[in-house]
Amino acid sequence: MAEQALATAALLIPVVPFVAFAVILLGGLLPKERGFGGATSTVLSTASAGVSFALSVYVLLRVQATDASFVAVRTAWVEATGAPDLHFGVLVDPLSALMAVIVSLVAFLVHVFSKYYMNDEGENGLPRYYGAMALFTGSMLAFVFSSNLLMSFIFFELVGLCSYLLIGFWYETPSAASAAKKAFLVTRFGDYFFLVGVAGVFAAFGTFAYHGDGSLFDTAASAIEGNVSVLGVGAEMAVTALALLVLGGVIGKSAQFPLHTWLPDAMEGPTPVSALIHAATMVAAGVYLVARLFEFYALSPTALLVVAYVGGFTALFAATMALVMDDIKQVLAYSTISQYGYMMLALGAGGYTAAVFHLTNHAFFKALLFLGAGSVIIATHHKQDMWELGGLRRRMPVTYWTFLAGALALAGIAPFSGFWSKDEALLAVLRNAVNEPLLWVPFGLGLVAVVVTGFYTFRMVALTFHGEPRSEEAREAEEGGFAVYTPLVALGALAVFAGFINAVPLGIHALKTFLGGETFAEYAAETVGYVGEFEPSTALSVTALALAVAGSVAAFRLYAGADEPLRHRDGATARVLEKKYYVDAFQVWLAEDVTYGLSKRLSLFDIDILDGVVNGTSRVSLGSGEAVRRIQTGVVSHYAAVIALGVVGLVALVGLVGGWF
Amino acid sequence: MVTTAELVAFAPELSVAGTAFLVLLLDTFSREKRGGVSLAVAFAGVAVAFVATVFHMSIGTDTTAFAGTLAVDPFALFFGLAVLITTALVLLSSTEYMGRVYPERSESLTEYVALILFAATGMLLMASARSLVTAFIALELAALPSYALVAFAKDDRAGVEGGMKYFMLGAVSSAFLLYGISLVYGATGTFDFAGIAASVSAGDATGLAGLGALFVLVGLGFKIAAFPFHVWAPDAYTGAPTPVSAFLSSASKIAGFVLLFRVFTVALPTSLNWLLAVQVLAVLTMTYGNFAAAVQSSVKRMLAYSSIGHAGYVLIALAVFSSGGDDAALALGAGMSHLFVYAFMNTGAFLVVALIDDYWGVGYEFEDYAGIARKVPLIGVAMAVFMFSLAGLPTGGGFLSKLAVFAGAVRSGFWWLALIGVVNSALSLYYYSRVLRWMWIEEPGDGAPALDGRPVGIYTAILVAAVVTFGLLFAFEPVLSTAEEAASALLS
Repeated sequence: MAEQALATAALLIPVVPFVAFAVILLGGLLPKERGFGGATSTVLSTASAGVSFALSVYVLLRVQATDASFVAVRTAWVEATGAPDLHFGVLVDPLSALMAVIVSLVAFLVHVFSKYYMNDEGENGLPRYYGAMALFTGSMLAFVFSSNLLMSFIFFELVGLCSYLLIGFWYETPSAASAAKKAFLVTRFGDYFFLVGVAGVFAAFGTFAYHGDGSLFDTAASAIEGNVSVLGVGAEMAVTALALLVLGGVIGKSAQFPLHTWLPDAMEGPTPVSALIHAATMVAAGVYLVARLFEFYALSPTALLVVAYVGGFTALFAATMALVMDDIKQVLAYSTISQYGYMMLALGAGGYTAAVFHLTNHAFFKALLFLGAGSVIIATHHKQDMWELGGLRRRMPVTYWTFLAGALALAGIAPFSGFWSKDEALLAVLRNAVNEPLLWVPFGLGLVAVVVTGFYTFRMVALTFHGEPRSEEAREAEEGGFAVYTPLVALGALAVFAGFINAVPLGIHALKTFLGGETFAEYAAETVGYVGEFEPSTALSVTALALAVAGSVAAFRLYAGADEPLRHRDGATARVLEKKYYVDAFQVWLAEDVTYGLSKRLSLFDIDILDGVVNGTSRVSLGSGEAVRRIQTGVVSHYAAVIALGVVGLVALVGLVGGWF
Repeated sequence: MVTTAELVAFAPELSVAGTAFLVLLLDTFSREKRGGVSLAVAFAGVAVAFVATVFHMSIGTDTTAFAGTLAVDPFALFFGLAVLITTALVLLSSTEYMGRVYPERSESLTEYVALILFAATGMLLMASARSLVTAFIALELAALPSYALVAFAKDDRAGVEGGMKYFMLGAVSSAFLLYGISLVYGATGTFDFAGIAASVSAGDATGLAGLGALFVLVGLGFKIAAFPFHVWAPDAYTGAPTPVSAFLSSASKIAGFVLLFRVFTVALPTSLNWLLAVQVLAVLTMTYGNFAAAVQSSVKRMLAYSSIGHAGYVLIALAVFSSGGDDAALALGAGMSHLFVYAFMNTGAFLVVALIDDYWGVGYEFEDYAGIARKVPLIGVAMAVFMFSLAGLPTGGGFLSKLAVFAGAVRSGFWWLALIGVVNSALSLYYYSRVLRWMWIEEPGDGAPALDGRPVGIYTAILVAAVVTFGLLFAFEPVLSTAEEAASALLS
């Protein structure tokens, strides 16, 4: 009975936003005077997120109380004996329950904030905005509750589509339209690999299921145990290859190196959308997928190491680029990439709890930072360049204090939330590096990134809020009202306190117990020989804290009273950083110069060759294309020659292969 | 001695050939030259042949005649049906087309009709041939009227040039074919398909049989316009009156394939090493056809290359042939059913071009098609059905038949051939949808000519082709199973 209620609630969580989306969509069909405009769609979409949040809390509490883990609803696609088991299902377990709360809470607060950011600014197309937001929320929640890999893939794609729609919300601005396209194409590039991986998983193991007897994980594990040959190779090899293919999708969505280039451009979307994408939906989907498939990844030491290296490298790589960005949203964008790198690093090192913990904390403080930035942007009439802000702490106290809380969490300074989870992530890597020396490299990268993170975070705080205002708009900034305070304060409180759900150095393991982190750690210990139990390390905590503080203080001293001259840096390092390590340029070069150039070269070749033979061309063949004209010259004797040469070639080929000569 | 049973068995061929003579006779003795009458008579003759073919199919006729040189079996009947349907569609659209586009030739419309009927007779006989001699005669009977048909508009330089080239290169390819036949005969001492196979299997044949097989492949490769023996096709298809292009690229190609299939599955065993050659031809033909089609600026020429590409897909069916067994029958049946669907969608597409390019005089280029579909949405929809079906999207049977061909290749272990086919299919979507983009999306230019007249015959032919193409999406199963049964009967 109780389980029935839980199942219904879990099913409704994604369904409610989908319904809101459908209603808003159908509302668009009504004639203009009778149709509902921005106000109704705002209420519908916001309310749906609120209902989902309430249901999510209920589900979380029930799961916490009953330790439930089951597939609630199962609808088969194909009902036939012998048909493969393809179904839609709602998987209720601690991970999905926790993630549902994060997603729906952030979505709800972003909706509230949108009222200030979008409605009060008199934006057009609000039904379109809120419709897409509802679809986005619903897709992400459905992705969270997916009970199998195929379903995950479907909603993963839907999430990608929604972010395309929202990043390109201001589609009349060319840069926004192009950023949306870029986000779509770059993530789609990763998704090709994911799709191949999905097909491969089915071909190899005949199931997509995450849960129950004969699940994907069980099947793969027993294949490795039994040393069975899968897809023509050893089972472990197959698992590694498939895990890496799926990782392609993750790298795209979670904006890991080298597919991170779409995310900074995606700042072209409205700021609340950025908050949603970064904190709880699009980008989070990638890491969530690895967490969901942890038991699969943990079957292959190679796959885990790749995850750790991608994460560690991205964490530092993106953080350094955040150092030189002048646009406040750009700084946050690169910090997102870097923070998801930490989560990947933790997962790669077997730190399942640490990764989910950091995912949780990051969702709250990053949403907070984006909404704070949004508050600043609106108050200063769309000033995003930090060098034109400054001194805002006096005119916008609520925004300042909540932003500061988020910044302290991001920088990893105790006792704010980010400190605890980052510490635990690094701890997992450190403990396992003893057995797996290859982990020392990502550990080092992650540790260095701590200083850099502190530095860019407080550079941002100092430039935006401290010093003297550097523009007219900054001098006259006015803070918004209720719709601004509520989300900021709520998220600010979470940024301060959320870390205590798993403060390992203080002996608190609530999240670990809830998630069953013990089981996952032991699982990894059994399969790839990772350490099952992580002893807390005071030395590490102190070092990480010291590094974070050092970076933060240095930045603050340097930039708090900053003036124009500091802005103009030169030197090779700064240039490389400003050019984003030329990754963007490289990708453009790959597309434009290499591919396009090669095509042009080939076409030139055709033109050259054809010029020689074209003299006898007849009327008929004048219409044929460049490449074809070499053969289709229009001269009948050439035709006969082509036929004759074809015969000779055919006879020679068959003769050679058949051994006539 | 010819028996009544043999005459009954050959009722379709006799009906078509007899009608050809009949229209010539009528024309000779009538004072006024009335092409419309000839067309009506011809259409009736083809209809009788069609009924006779369906009758033979329904009673499951499977016999040989004329001293075993010709066969009436499910295989021949299946292809005969496709040839007759194409012929009927082309005839249906010809009166109005020739009357408007080549008024100076309206006196000679009866010759045109007779030529088509003679060519169709040749094609039907190609489907029935079971001896290299009858095969060659049937092929020439189909070919000679075709040359004349391409050059039918005597004052049109492009047509005359295309016909001339077709004729000269046809002579070259006939020489190869004859030479191949003589080598095979020299090696085996017989023209009979079954006899050749028996001789080769028994090990009596000399090594020359392999070379002969390759030359036969070249001769038939010319007929189906396989790369690099396709060189005549783009010029001939472009120069010919468009209904003739439809006839050649559909019926003539189908007839070439039926002979190719029969010779290479019944007469010449794979031990003669031709399998590799067919695979190479399949890959080259589909790749070349599709790449060349992609760069064309004229719709008609694009269709010419697309039909080369389709020959490549069908060649896959033979390229995966593994002498006997269920897989071979399935693969061959898939190729046959693709040709059947192709008869409708390709003919239909060419007839749309005939209507727009020539009848309405809009022009040959893609750009000339701008906005046409908005003026004549019915034709726009029909063209969408043809184009997407040719590309292999499920707007018509082309999707299923292509799927069957690729699935057959995979089942026989030639996944790489299927892969190349799929990649080519994806490429083809580019140029097929380009036609539709111009027709549906682009705005018509200022100087666009008025679309004058709604020719009933051409409209009917196009719509029948479109409806059947679309309908085959739902009624593909009977076609495929008929083709597979015919193939397994042939192979057993």
